[in-house]
Amino acid sequence: MTTLTPSLTSSMIAILPELVILVTACTVLVADLYTRDDQKQSNHNLTIIGLLLALIAVGFVGGSVPTEAFSESFIRDPMSDLLKGAILIVSLLTFIYAKDYMRDREMWVGEYHVLLLFAVLGMLIMVSANGFLTLYLGLELLSLCLYALVAFDRDSKQGAEAAMKYFVLGALGSGMLLYGISMLYGASGGFAFADVAAAVASDGVNDKILVFGLVFALIGIAFKFGAVPFHMWLPDVYQGAPTPIVLFLSSAPKIAAFAMAARILIEALGGLQSDWGEILVILSVLSLALGNVVAIAQTNIKRMLAYSTISHVGFIFLGLLAGSEQGYASAMFYSVVYALMSAGAFGVLLMISSKGQDVQELDDLKGLSDRAPWLAAMMALMMFSMAGVPPMVGFVAKLLVLEAIIAQGMVWLAIVAVAFSIIGAFYYLRVVKMLYFDKPTTEVPVTTNASARVAITVNGAAILLLGMYPATLFTLCQQAFPG
Amino acid sequence: MGFEKFLFYVFAAITVVAAGMVVTRRNPVHAVLFLVLAFVSSAALWLLLEAEFLGIVLVLVYVGAVMVLFLFVVMMLDIDIAALRGQFIRYLPIGLLIALVMVVNLFLVLGPSNFGLELFAKPEAQPADYSNTVELGLQLYTTYLYPFEIAAVILLVAIVAAIRLTLRRRPETKYQDASKQVRVKKGPDRIRLVSMPALKEKSK
Amino acid sequence: MLEDYLHILIFLAVAILIGFAPRVLGMLLGPRRPDPEKDAPYECGFDAFESARMKFDVRYYLVAILFILFDLEIAFLFPWAVVLEELGTAGLLSMSVFLGILVVGFIYEWRKGALDWE
Repeated sequence: MTTLTPSLTSSMIAILPELVILVTACTVLVADLYTRDDQKQSNHNLTIIGLLLALIAVGFVGGSVPTEAFSESFIRDPMSDLLKGAILIVSLLTFIYAKDYMRDREMWVGEYHVLLLFAVLGMLIMVSANGFLTLYLGLELLSLCLYALVAFDRDSKQGAEAAMKYFVLGALGSGMLLYGISMLYGASGGFAFADVAAAVASDGVNDKILVFGLVFALIGIAFKFGAVPFHMWLPDVYQGAPTPIVLFLSSAPKIAAFAMAARILIEALGGLQSDWGEILVILSVLSLALGNVVAIAQTNIKRMLAYSTISHVGFIFLGLLAGSEQGYASAMFYSVVYALMSAGAFGVLLMISSKGQDVQELDDLKGLSDRAPWLAAMMALMMFSMAGVPPMVGFVAKLLVLEAIIAQGMVWLAIVAVAFSIIGAFYYLRVVKMLYFDKPTTEVPVTTNASARVAITVNGAAILLLGMYPATLFTLCQQAFPG
Repeated sequence: MGFEKFLFYVFAAITVVAAGMVVTRRNPVHAVLFLVLAFVSSAALWLLLEAEFLGIVLVLVYVGAVMVLFLFVVMMLDIDIAALRGQFIRYLPIGLLIALVMVVNLFLVLGPSNFGLELFAKPEAQPADYSNTVELGLQLYTTYLYPFEIAAVILLVAIVAAIRLTLRRRPETKYQDASKQVRVKKGPDRIRLVSMPALKEKSK
Repeated sequence: MLEDYLHILIFLAVAILIGFAPRVLGMLLGPRRPDPEKDAPYECGFDAFESARMKFDVRYYLVAILFILFDLEIAFLFPWAVVLEELGTAGLLSMSVFLGILVVGFIYEWRKGALDWE
C-alpha cells in the first residue's frame, strides 16, 4: 500500500487551494479562542488573506491540462479553475460587504468566519469532484455550514424558522440525490463519473435503473438550485436569514450548484442527455414563469430577490438543456454572472442597512438616490443587469443562452424565456423607479466603510465591463467544455 | 442455507414491523424505542451479509449515540399531538395519493423485471478467513483517502455549528471553578492587608 | 463465518425469553384490579401538578451531539486499527490528519467551555 506515497505529493499540490482554505479556517477557529473581544478584526484579516492566497493557489495549480489526484477522487480542470476563482472572488466580496452589518449586530464572531470558510471549502470540493462520493461530501459540507449560518442570529425566531425549513427540505433533497447516486452506483459499480459514463455508454437508455437514478439525482440538483417545483424553501430562507448570509447563499453556491449539475449531467450522464433535457425543459419553464410572475407581487425585497433567483435558475437550466458545448458554456457564464449580480444587489442592501434597522421592505429603498447617490446607482446597475438591459452583462448572459437554444432548434423555448424576462423586467425597473423617483421615507444618513465602497464599485464595474467585453470570460467558459 | 434464510425473514419481519410502529406510535418516546429495535434488527441483517463492521457501526453509532440524541430532541420538543393530528388528517388524502403514485412508480422500476434475482449473479462465497473490515480498511485509507479526510472536516463543522447554535453563557449561574481555586496562593490571594488610618467615631 | 455467531443468536433468544417470561407470567397469574386512584401517577400524595413530560434543557442536546461526533470518529478508527500494519506510514499519516482536524474541534469546544456544566 506504499504505492500511495509517490503520488501523494502531486496530489497535495493539486488540492492546494482547498488546503489553504482548510488551514485558514482552522487557524481562525483556534486564533479566535485566544483573542480578546476588541481584537476581532484579526479574524477578518486572516480570512481575507486566506481567500486571497487560495485565489493565488488556484492560478498556480491551474492550466489547460486536467489533473486527477487521490485515486481519481479529485480533478482539476479548466472548469474547476474558473469556477473556483469565481467562488473565491464572490466569497471575498461577501466578507467585505458583510463586515459592518455583522459587527453592528454582534454576529461578527469567529464562528461566522469559520463556517463561511468551510462553506467555501465545501464548494471548492464540489467543483473539483471527480466522483459522486466526493461531490456528495462537498455538498454536505456546504449545506451543513449554510444551515448553521441561516440560524446564526440565535435570538431571531424568523432565522430559526428559516433554518428549520432549509434543513428539513435540504436534507430531503440530499436524500433524493443520495438515493439516485446509490442507483447509479448499483448500475455502474463505481463512484467515479467516468465509471457511470461507461455504464451509460454500454447499457444506454434501455437501462431503467440508470434513468431512475438520473431522475433522483436531478431532483437533488433541482432542490439545491431551488428550481420550481423544488423552490419552496427559497423565499422563506431569504426572508428569515441574516442578509449577509442570504448574500452568500444566493451567489457562490449557485456556482457550485452549476458545477454539480455539469459534473453529474454532462460528465457522468451525458449519454442520457435526451432524457434529462426533457426534464430540464419542464423545470426551466416552470422556474421562469413562477419566478418572474410571483416576484411582482412581493413587497419584501429579499423575497423578491428570492423569486428573481428562481427565474435566473430557469435560465441556467435553459443553457444546460441545449445539450451543446455552446449551451453548457453559456450556462456556466450565466451562473458566474448571476453570482456577481446577486452579490452586488445584496451588498447594497447590506450597506444601506443601519445599525438598528435592516432593509427588508421595498419601500426602504425609496429615494435612495438622495441619501446615497453612488449606492443607488450601483443598485440600479444591478437591477438593469438582472433585467437584461444592454450593455450590462446580464443582457449578454441571457443572449448567449438564447443563442444556444435557438441553435438547437428550440425557438419556442426561447420565445417563452424572452416573454417571461420582459414580465420580469417590470419588477426590476420598479426598484429603479423607487430609487430615483420616490421620496425617501427616512432621513437616516447612510454610513459605509471604505473597503465596502471600493468592493461595490469594483463589483459594479465588473458588471458593466463584462457586459461590454464578455469575450474573455466566455472564452474561458468555452474552454471548460472542449467538446 | 435454510436456517440462514429463516433468520433473514425473522429479522426482516422485525425490522418492518418496528419501522411501521415508529411512524404509527402516538408517544414519540415509544417511536424512538421502536426505531432502536429497527436498527438492531437491521444490524443483524448486516451480519447475515457478513458485513460485520457495518453492523457494529449501526449498533455503536445509531443505537448508541444517535438514538440518545433523538430521545433528547423528542424530550426537548413540546409537541402538541392533537394539533399535529389535525394537520395530518387535512393533508392525508393528498399525501396518500402521492405516496401511492410513488410506490407504483418505484415498483415498476425496482420490481422483479429490473431487479429480479435471475438478473444478478450470486456473489461467490468468500473464504473463511475473509474479513470485511480488513477490505474496508484497505480501501478507505488509500483509494478513498480524500473523501475520508473530508469526513473529518464535516465532523469539525458539526462541532462548530452545534456549539455556536446551542451554547450560551449563563452569567447568573454560580459555580466553582476548581482550577481557579487550586491556583490561589497563600498570602496575597487570600488575605489583603489594607493600611487605613484609625477613624474616630463622630460624637453627637 | 456465520456459524461463529450461533452462540450470540442463542444468547439473544435466551435474553428475549427472560425479558418476556416474567411479564407474561405476571399478566397471566397476577390479580389485576385497576382503579383510577391506583393508576394515578404518584406525586407525594398530591394530585399530579403537570404533565410528567417537560422540556429538557438544550444543553443535554449539546452533550449528546458532541458525543456522537467523537463516537463517529471512533467508528473510523476500527478498520484502520485492523489494517494499520499493511498500510504502513501512509496509513498512520492519513489517520493523523483525520485526528488532527478533529483535535482542532476539540480545542475549540474545550476553550469555548462546551464541556463545562455551569
